[in-house]
Amino acid sequence: MSISLATPKPESLRRYPYRSKASIIFGVLITICAIGMLQSVMRNPNFGWDVVALYLTAPVILKGILVTLQLTVVCMVIGIGIGIVLAAMGQSNAMPVRAVAAAFVWFFRGTPLLIQLIFWFNLSALFPDLSVSVPFGPELFSIDPNALITPFFAAVLGLSLNEGAYMAEVIRGGLLGVGKGQTEAAQALGMKPLKLMMVVVLPQALRIIIPPTGNQTLGMLKNTSLVSVLAVSELLHSAQIIYSRNYETIPLLVVACIWYLVMTTLLSGIQFLVERKFKKSDRSSSRRGLIPESESVDTGLLPQPTDGPSLQTRTAS
Amino acid sequence: MNQTVASTPLINATKIVKRFGDHVVLKGIDFSVRSGEVSCIVGASGSGKSTLLRCLNALEKLTSGEVWIDDEMIGWRATKNGYVELSPGALARQRAKVGMVFQEFNLFPHMTALMNIMKAPMAVKNEPRAVVEERARRLLDRVGLSDHANHYPAQLSGGQQQRIAIARALAMEPKVLLFDEPTSALDPELVNEVLTVMQDLAQEGMTMVVVTHEIGFAREVADSLTFMDKGQVVESGNPREMIADPQHRRTKDFLSMVL
Ligand SMILES: Nc1ncnc2c1ncn2[C@@H]1O[C@H](COP(=O)(O)OP(=O)(O)O)[C@@H](O)[C@H]1O
Ligand SMILES: [Mg+2]
Repeated sequence: MSISLATPKPESLRRYPYRSKASIIFGVLITICAIGMLQSVMRNPNFGWDVVALYLTAPVILKGILVTLQLTVVCMVIGIGIGIVLAAMGQSNAMPVRAVAAAFVWFFRGTPLLIQLIFWFNLSALFPDLSVSVPFGPELFSIDPNALITPFFAAVLGLSLNEGAYMAEVIRGGLLGVGKGQTEAAQALGMKPLKLMMVVVLPQALRIIIPPTGNQTLGMLKNTSLVSVLAVSELLHSAQIIYSRNYETIPLLVVACIWYLVMTTLLSGIQFLVERKFKKSDRSSSRRGLIPESESVDTGLLPQPTDGPSLQTRTAS
Repeated sequence: MNQTVASTPLINATKIVKRFGDHVVLKGIDFSVRSGEVSCIVGASGSGKSTLLRCLNALEKLTSGEVWIDDEMIGWRATKNGYVELSPGALARQRAKVGMVFQEFNLFPHMTALMNIMKAPMAVKNEPRAVVEERARRLLDRVGLSDHANHYPAQLSGGQQQRIAIARALAMEPKVLLFDEPTSALDPELVNEVLTVMQDLAQEGMTMVVVTHEIGFAREVADSLTFMDKGQVVESGNPREMIADPQHRRTKDFLSMVL
């Protein structure tokens, strides 16, 4: 019996991976549900797909996208800068410096971003005339806060400061992730603290910092929609302007969502590429076994030690 | 054994005390090494060997006592009112003259073997790249790893990593090399390739302080042997004599366990 079945060579027979029945049943159910939901959404006239199509590439919407991207990039860059400064302050030997950093993170992570934004927007109400002067001395210059705190400026201020608090934690985690042995090896070689940080710690911390920074950027992209309450004409506010005139609320929110999805998908793609690039250069993840055997074999430039006796014969000379 | 051994000590540590909180880890240690000498330190785990070694290059701050290397006080400046701690920059300058090899190698994982060796001379001493690269390749040859210049640490065996770590320390042209159990993290078959490199260094007249459990190495290579127990030096002297005929009971007990 077994002999007659063995006509094709056993090693050339196909192999079928195990498939659980549950995954097949679940897959079928999910597909049916998804088709049903998609149909009801597409057929539902309340979604107004014709209106969606009409406004998807409207100039106002496209301008809003541009503002959203601008805010994302500007606030991420400033936020990362603040995060680096805060993380460095957190490592300081001086207690007051550490306390300031901790207080900053505590406050900005502990209060809602929306309130922070409204707060910055209304700064002029708190300080009606903002002036810089030498204490007990002459006034250097004064400015009208209403002119300084434009909606866009308040948005950048609020988003950046909030982001800085989160990035400080991300960067701190990255620095802590580099082992103590690395610092000590660099110290033993005579590296000063700044060199040690730039040459040894930061390059290794970057690998830990990059993935959560990608997530933070995605979060920032979506959080920019909050500044619609400050009447900054980013994507959501642009959609709101349109539906406040034509009352097509749902279709315009769908338009906004489609564009947010497009942007977050693109960002995820970039994140994937960046992380892969860093994995590639991270040779510490590749194992010894990946090197051809011939390379990892010793060249015999040193007399290959065999056992204890080799030591004794060498010293005897 | 070494003809180049000088009579004045290159390293002179006196009355070293190191406390971690209430725990007194080093209880007044005197320790000296002459130029060109190989000095081995043995002792049970937890007896303070690593701490002593780390006090020599100021990786640990002394509680009291003085460490002098090459006529310079390490870590502190004596004033008439007491000792003043040196700045990080001054500490770094002192450490540049003292090489260290760790049990866990501690190579920089994001650099090739060659860059591991080249980085410190370029970053610390600002030596020109070409000069440093030439020296680094010579050192790679010396530790038998010329073919591995472009390998990353994770692509090397433990023994190869430790040999690169020795080359990295040598690239700074230190006055003395400190080894903290350099073969303890290695698979047994890789121990000798590292010991052989260290023995070659000893024969070339390198001053070395070696914390080790390799009694065979201590007997064959070292010029002096120090036995530590519970933060104190119990016995020190000629390695062959000490191993053959230990004077103290604690030394005898320890040696009978490791031999
Ligand atoms: N940073 C530290 N903080 C507290 N205790 C320490 C520290 N480093 C070492 N010790 C203690 O000092 C003692 C000696 O440690 P160590 O010098 O590493 O011994 P050895 O190298 O001989 O095994 C141990 O009891 C250890 O727990
Ligand atoms: Mg130890």
